[in-house]
Amino acid sequence: MKLVSVVAGGLLALGFATGLASQADPQVFFMVRSERRPAPVYKPDQVIVGFATTSSQALAERAAREIGAVQMRRSLFGGRYLVTLVDGQDVPAALARLRAMPEVEYAEPNGIVRAYLSPNDEFYRYQWHMRLIGAERTWDIQRGDPSVVVAVLDTGIAYEDYGPFRKAPDWGGTPFVTGFNVFSGSNHANDDNFHGTHVASTIAEAANNSIGATGLCFGCALMPVKVLDADGEGTYFDVAEGLDYAIDFTQNGQKTVKVINLSLGGDGTSTTVTRAIDRAVAQGITVVAAAGNDGEDSVSFPASYASVIAVGAVDGRKQRAPYSNYGSALDVVAPGGDLDRNDDNDQYPDGVLQQTFSPTRARLEGRYDVFGYFFVEGTSEATPHVAAIAALLYHQGIKDPTAIRKAIESTAEDLGGSGRDDQFGYGLVRPAEALKGLGINK
Amino acid sequence: MRPRHLLAAACVAALFLAKPPAASAGGFAIDAQGGYFSIAAKDSAEAVLGSSGFGTFGGGLSYTFGKGIFVHAGVRVASRDGERVFVADPAGEVFKLGHPVSFRLVPVEFTLGYRFGRFGSFTPYIGVGGGVTSVKEESTVAGITEKESQSKGSGHARIGLEFGKKALRFAVEAQWSTVPDAIGVGGVSKIYGESNVGGFTILGKVIFTTARD
Repeated sequence: MKLVSVVAGGLLALGFATGLASQADPQVFFMVRSERRPAPVYKPDQVIVGFATTSSQALAERAAREIGAVQMRRSLFGGRYLVTLVDGQDVPAALARLRAMPEVEYAEPNGIVRAYLSPNDEFYRYQWHMRLIGAERTWDIQRGDPSVVVAVLDTGIAYEDYGPFRKAPDWGGTPFVTGFNVFSGSNHANDDNFHGTHVASTIAEAANNSIGATGLCFGCALMPVKVLDADGEGTYFDVAEGLDYAIDFTQNGQKTVKVINLSLGGDGTSTTVTRAIDRAVAQGITVVAAAGNDGEDSVSFPASYASVIAVGAVDGRKQRAPYSNYGSALDVVAPGGDLDRNDDNDQYPDGVLQQTFSPTRARLEGRYDVFGYFFVEGTSEATPHVAAIAALLYHQGIKDPTAIRKAIESTAEDLGGSGRDDQFGYGLVRPAEALKGLGINK
Repeated sequence: MRPRHLLAAACVAALFLAKPPAASAGGFAIDAQGGYFSIAAKDSAEAVLGSSGFGTFGGGLSYTFGKGIFVHAGVRVASRDGERVFVADPAGEVFKLGHPVSFRLVPVEFTLGYRFGRFGSFTPYIGVGGGVTSVKEESTVAGITEKESQSKGSGHARIGLEFGKKALRFAVEAQWSTVPDAIGVGGVSKIYGESNVGGFTILGKVIFTTARD
């Protein structure tokens, strides 16, 4: 299933920015929610191949030649290869041949992952989603620290002035560590879509600087990792590359990435990705992912993987958002919004409000500097709230991903049926409660 | 062997070894006491307070009847400071979160006891009783203080050895107490499945008495 942004035409278009939105007169953008349309679940001409550790490069190349590969790309981080097949070659047939080779450890389709999105815009008083989870009390306790880095694997972030890309206006002093672009192999993970900037802003958009909106962990540092392209699409190979980069990243000899945000997902599962996630968790990194926007009783991958905190979305009434996937793999819910509702009566639909740039101007004109504050709905928008909480908990003293998960789950506000249920998981996250921890009896 | 088992064995031994008291006029006594208290909710206390041991002090008033039977009423305070933590499961690591916590127990105890005959300057005694224990927990998180206090019924058994013949005497005493269902509904005590804030206490006492043995 594919998500597509559709501009609201004359429906809700209050105003469209023509340049950088001024601080005094922020531009408001309305975007209608994404629609779904059938799409392939994996790249029709690619497979991922993992070779046994004893296999040489020559053996790998020979295996690729035997199945008629036209191109083979070795991972920058390990012994897996992205093999591009000749036009018209059947992926299942290629996989069958590869799996029969003794030097091949595993072979799988290169599944497609997509951003879970749908946009809109403006300011803290419109950030109902922060109030819903008690953000102000949270900030009394903990605001995060630059020593804790949250890696955002997404479409990139508007975090630097580089070529046609511009740094978004409301980052304030939010530090960014060296990023990675899996498509170019460079360290310039600039956002050419809008989604990653919006997601990252929920985590660490600057606060108390009198402009724009705020992130939940505005003291944290961010790592931009571009694994989704300008259309918000990527593959499991790309995601694994991004995961490995974040896992291996060091600053002054220290591994500083403590949380990975995956506001993306796809169909099926991927050994390539689960192995990378296992490695992340083993190194003390908490991985958080979006449940998906199909409104189905099935949590998307990688959120469905047991080591990942799967996040669904609720609206301002603490009701499950109609698009939010649910099911046995769902762990918690966070505000993801519903653009059909205005439960806080602020004249705006209840999307998650953060800074980003106009996706329309980016797509049509190649401009990445038309910034504004956008209301967006989706489990993509719910997920960074939880990633931010994980980062806050880490800095408060909970250093283990399993314990962080338990702290988030055990302090969630129980919604729906008593105890954990498939609609809300353990319930709506309550960061202040999680940060308070436990006394003897309270 | 657990402290309460040691205490029970000591009580049985005292019953066999001690001789009955000589007839006496009886009288009042007051005491000041201090010592060490080891709480039964060991894991919870160690996680939050850093130790399951508390310093304790207090005082009491007793009356000894002519045939060695005595009644005693006493109150003590045991408190310790720590910090709030997070524990995912009973076997899991304890993560300290830095928010201060203070935990205080105030047992008020009534004891019915028996004083054996004197061995030289030493007088052994035993007692059992019940009372009420006040349990108070207070923690401050980012400027907001939360308090929780409650009182729970308690039971105890004790054995002691008093030294001296005159008005001023000294004693050492071992006590086992139980205060069930005092904790365990939240916090780390729920995770560890601990609900009893009783425990084992070793006390030293300074006694001023009007009794004549």
